[in-house]
Amino acid sequence: MSMLVLLSTNPIALTVFWSAATIGLYFAAKRLYRLWPRWWLTPLGVAPLLLIAITLSCHTSYHDYFRSTQWLVLLLGPTTVAFAIPIYEQRALIRRHWPVLAAGVLVGSGTAMVSAWGLASLLGMSGSLRLSLLPRSMSTPFAMAVSGDIGGVPDLTAVFVVFTGVFGAALGEAVLYCLPLRSVLARGALFGMGAHGAGVAKAHQIGREEGSIAGLVMVMVGLVNVLAAPLLGYALH
Amino acid sequence: MTTRRFAINARRGLDLSRPLQIALLCVFWLAGEAVARTTEIPVPGGIVGMFIVLALLASGRLSLLSMRRGANWFLAEMLLFFIPAVLAIMDHQELMGWLGLKVLVVILAGTIIVMSVTALAVDLCFRWRSAHVHAGPALD
Repeated sequence: MSMLVLLSTNPIALTVFWSAATIGLYFAAKRLYRLWPRWWLTPLGVAPLLLIAITLSCHTSYHDYFRSTQWLVLLLGPTTVAFAIPIYEQRALIRRHWPVLAAGVLVGSGTAMVSAWGLASLLGMSGSLRLSLLPRSMSTPFAMAVSGDIGGVPDLTAVFVVFTGVFGAALGEAVLYCLPLRSVLARGALFGMGAHGAGVAKAHQIGREEGSIAGLVMVMVGLVNVLAAPLLGYALH
Repeated sequence: MTTRRFAINARRGLDLSRPLQIALLCVFWLAGEAVARTTEIPVPGGIVGMFIVLALLASGRLSLLSMRRGANWFLAEMLLFFIPAVLAIMDHQELMGWLGLKVLVVILAGTIIVMSVTALAVDLCFRWRSAHVHAGPALD
């Protein structure tokens, strides 16, 4: 028993335990999804649900869990750098079609803000909760910066961003079947604009070109919005 | 002569080793963070690092082979890095009830709207441009 207590208070032991649990459940969930590809079995849904169950049964708070696994989230940094490779590989496609992609990013960013504002108002939400919903279509580091700029709660925005990614990656496939999309550009932009990082991962499964377009669109969306956020914050107050 | 051979061997090793490439990507990320912090631009360090790598690739100072395997690994396992952030929901008990359901409706409906509008706008622009501008063969 004293051994267990020692283990549960040692930060190194905690880091090893929660990191191993997270990584192990992720790969297990991924294998399950490969065997049985249903949208509600997405690894980004199954693994967190099991982890929540484990943290609750261990009486571990989110604060303690996150401190042990923060290094995994930090790896989103080099992942962003890695986007350079598919983007560079598709440079001919991008050079030829950048005005189309820029139009998509502007239309998409406007639609994201207006639809979130309109739907939230319709359902009776207001204040910082409504503002926190506005930047949900961007990737996390951008979204949190924009959220702070316009008067939202960055912490809450991060949760909304992740949910947008989880459901967006799954919804995107359904939308793809419903719309008569002819170009690889539209298919890539759909995922990059609608579901940021998780959407880009999904787009890479559909095709290498779709994946790099989605990655590029995601980066463009973040940059445009971070630059426009101070202006938007001024307009909203 | 021996230094040249060493350089060639080092390059060949880098082209084949995924762990080394993963480390190299991390180095560029840290460099991006350092640049973003010292210049105080409001852009995440990863994005700065991505632009550094793009510039090096475009100028021919870096080859695609020296990073492709590492980059593919990061892109394939990206969802893993999101998982600890999803658990932040545990700290927001207020979202567990009615309010959470309403937020979910906003996210789901909003995302469908954003995806449809964006994809249709891009497709329309693409068709208009291929009809009016000679942008080469159409891509399907």
